[in-house]
Amino acid sequence: MGEYVLEVRNLEKYYGQNKVLDNVNLSVRKGEIYGLIGANGSGKSTFMNILFGNSVISGTGGYKGEILFEGKSVQIRSTTEAIRRGIGMIYQEFMLIPEMTVAENIKLTRENTKNIFGKILKHNLSFVDRKMDEKEAEGVLEQLGFEIDNTYLVKNISVNAKQFVEIAREVNREDIKLLLLDEPTAVLNDEDAGKLMRVLKELAQKGTSIIFCTHRLHEICEVCDHVTVLRDGRVVSDYEKEDLDMRTLAKDMIGYDVAAVKKQHKNQEKKEILTFQDFSVHMPGEFLDRLNLDVYQGEILGLTSLSGHGKLAAGYGVMGQFSVTGSLFCEGGKVDVKDVRKTIAKGIFLLPDDRKNMGLLLEHSVRDNIIFSGYYGRNLFQKKAGGFFPVKDKKEIERYVQEQIEKLDIKCESPDQKVKELSGGNQQKVCIARAVLVAPKILFVMEPTRGVDIGAKEKILDMLVQINREHGTTIVAASSELEELKRISDRIAVLCEGKLSCILPPEASDEEFAFAFTGEEEEDGQ
Amino acid sequence: MIKKVQRDELIVPVTFILFSIICFFLSGISFLFLAEQVSLRFIRNIILVLALIFPIMAGMGLNFAVVIGTMITQACFIIVLNFNITGGKGAGTVLIVSLAAAAGVGYIIGRLLNKVRGREMVTSIVVGFLANYIYQLIFVAGFGTVIHVFNKKLVLSTGIGVKNMVDLKTFKEVFDNLGVFSIGEAKVSMLLLAMILVCGSFVFYLMHTPLGQKIKAVGMSEEKAANIGIDTDRVRIIVIVLSTVFAALGQFVYLQNIGSLNVYTEHLDTEKFACAALLAGGASIRKAGVKNAFIGVVLLHTLFVLSPLAGRNTFANASLGEYFRSFVAYGIIAFALVVNLRLEQKEES
Repeated sequence: MGEYVLEVRNLEKYYGQNKVLDNVNLSVRKGEIYGLIGANGSGKSTFMNILFGNSVISGTGGYKGEILFEGKSVQIRSTTEAIRRGIGMIYQEFMLIPEMTVAENIKLTRENTKNIFGKILKHNLSFVDRKMDEKEAEGVLEQLGFEIDNTYLVKNISVNAKQFVEIAREVNREDIKLLLLDEPTAVLNDEDAGKLMRVLKELAQKGTSIIFCTHRLHEICEVCDHVTVLRDGRVVSDYEKEDLDMRTLAKDMIGYDVAAVKKQHKNQEKKEILTFQDFSVHMPGEFLDRLNLDVYQGEILGLTSLSGHGKLAAGYGVMGQFSVTGSLFCEGGKVDVKDVRKTIAKGIFLLPDDRKNMGLLLEHSVRDNIIFSGYYGRNLFQKKAGGFFPVKDKKEIERYVQEQIEKLDIKCESPDQKVKELSGGNQQKVCIARAVLVAPKILFVMEPTRGVDIGAKEKILDMLVQINREHGTTIVAASSELEELKRISDRIAVLCEGKLSCILPPEASDEEFAFAFTGEEEEDGQ
Repeated sequence: MIKKVQRDELIVPVTFILFSIICFFLSGISFLFLAEQVSLRFIRNIILVLALIFPIMAGMGLNFAVVIGTMITQACFIIVLNFNITGGKGAGTVLIVSLAAAAGVGYIIGRLLNKVRGREMVTSIVVGFLANYIYQLIFVAGFGTVIHVFNKKLVLSTGIGVKNMVDLKTFKEVFDNLGVFSIGEAKVSMLLLAMILVCGSFVFYLMHTPLGQKIKAVGMSEEKAANIGIDTDRVRIIVIVLSTVFAALGQFVYLQNIGSLNVYTEHLDTEKFACAALLAGGASIRKAGVKNAFIGVVLLHTLFVLSPLAGRNTFANASLGEYFRSFVAYGIIAFALVVNLRLEQKEES
């Protein structure tokens, strides 16, 4: 095969203090299908966004390293520039305009035009030739082997069809040299995914290079000429087509590291405290589909999935954040999830993953944040001034807050410091201190260690285990960090595409988890 | 769901038609008089209403800053008169200078609105207010002090500040002598009519060009448009420039037809009435077309012509109609905003 279309050298990218890409090197040949796999947070999407000049990258301080496109060193500053250079991208969440027809979407920015006024007006100002557009769009869709009336509005077509329209839009470009695909098959059924694989192969034969991101390992093995595995922003391994093996890929993706410290599992009787029955949550981007699950009293239940596969939806559904069907029972009694106040009164509490928007009063002090739920929800720290009026017991608050700051090692100047000035880890500690005060029966924690440095991570995990042991709080921890869940959980429920894939003990092997994540069946009947 | 949306779009126009029919019988005027009045007002107002279409298409809502375009034209008229340029030459100068100035100012407003994404409407209102006071400051205090007065007829007897009323007959005559035809008593210049036709077709044409497609794409989803490779900032600026230029042109036609200029009050509330007209035609703050503008202007002005007369006949009080006008204008803007919010919520769920 020919020369390299894309060479990436020593690519580095920071989001704030977090290094998300570290010294990434890879080269893509002309007409090659290049597989890129990795777990969530491995840096795949960031890598794609850099190549496509997404504004997220320039908005967060750009990147370091060199990108060679067709042998020339380039700086891709905007999406428009990436497109001009012949790079196309197909997103996981569709970039289609819902109110336009299929044909309009496919031809957007590349419309055919009639020159009513001759050549005086440039492309932008000449009349769109709708008929021609529709004809061409039909042609492209035919080429993809997908039939749909291209005068339909995109908002009215199925998710499957949307994916094909999105692909048709990029395939229709004559100048395309490098096509980036971010999990294009996530929403397709097997038959359509097969069609897509065929199209990709044809494209590659015509000389278009393709970078293909997916978590469906068998697809990677089927079409890719070369595969790179990313983990924690680093290139872990490289394979040529001949050496591809699903099992090795899965291992590389999740990592070998086994946790050093584990929670002592208690042998307890299994008494259900929370029961999900056909519990569906319509959370945009995180759909939970008819979950049936028992949570036992006093356990730590890990809940994990790839992003977008529903691990966060359960908790938010319980707290009434999204519309819900099915039922939920707490200690035998039915819970009306719409009445959040009652849910909290029953002793269910949630620490959201979006700390900044949902979990904290950013403009308020550390002290206010720690006591907020306890003071306003549980009427703690109240004393009667002059025997009548309930007022804040400032002394008691001060003592408690100081104690928590020391216990959790919250790094702040004083309890008066505004929470928004703290680092992510310390903010999370404040959240936990708040939850401890309320002493809930069941605590949902969402991505407790996201955006947190290693030291704080340990402290937070430690604290969760401690709450569980000392107060007997049942904890449901939703996280994409499998290693951490393994350390603290008694059982781990793995979701795939919104459905419960299986419940594994924390000792289960990495392969078992990898297969559970992707919903793949194990081939050799183990 | 689709049927429901269409019904929502029709509520406002249908209400207007019903009201107009009732008022028509109450007022007891002839249909010819009504047609004459409405067509006159239609010619005066339509371009300003067309100016609002682009920003709506681009998802920026009602551009209340069109009032700035109207002020620019007024300022140009006064300045040109100050240099004693009259007749056709003067009118031409006003047209060219005001359109160029409007394009420049439009660019600045566009840049500003790009900085306040999601709050364009409120910002455009405030910017309109600000411009109004700058405008007043210039013509109340600037003329005769900082700005040298060449035309003594323009200023107050103290020598400082422009008079309330400025006569534009010298310009009006140019158009009145070019292919005039009459509807009832009113005389309409073919030239102005041609301008309106050109503007209307221009908007329609633009919406069917690749640029129009881009504007629509930006209006429907900015994030997606950006990811497809559309320079959203640039599109939004183009949209506001077009809108401001159209507003300036609209005010030019309006003043040309009236023949006099109320320096300090002529532009007040024009933007709100223009918005009301567009919404009356069945547009929403998310969706608008040339059709909505044409229908809306006719409907709104029919009601405006009829309501004072109906008020006088029924309640022996003509001023009632005046209040009614304002009530209608603000009422339908509020209504459209509420309907819009409801539609958006429905889409989300």
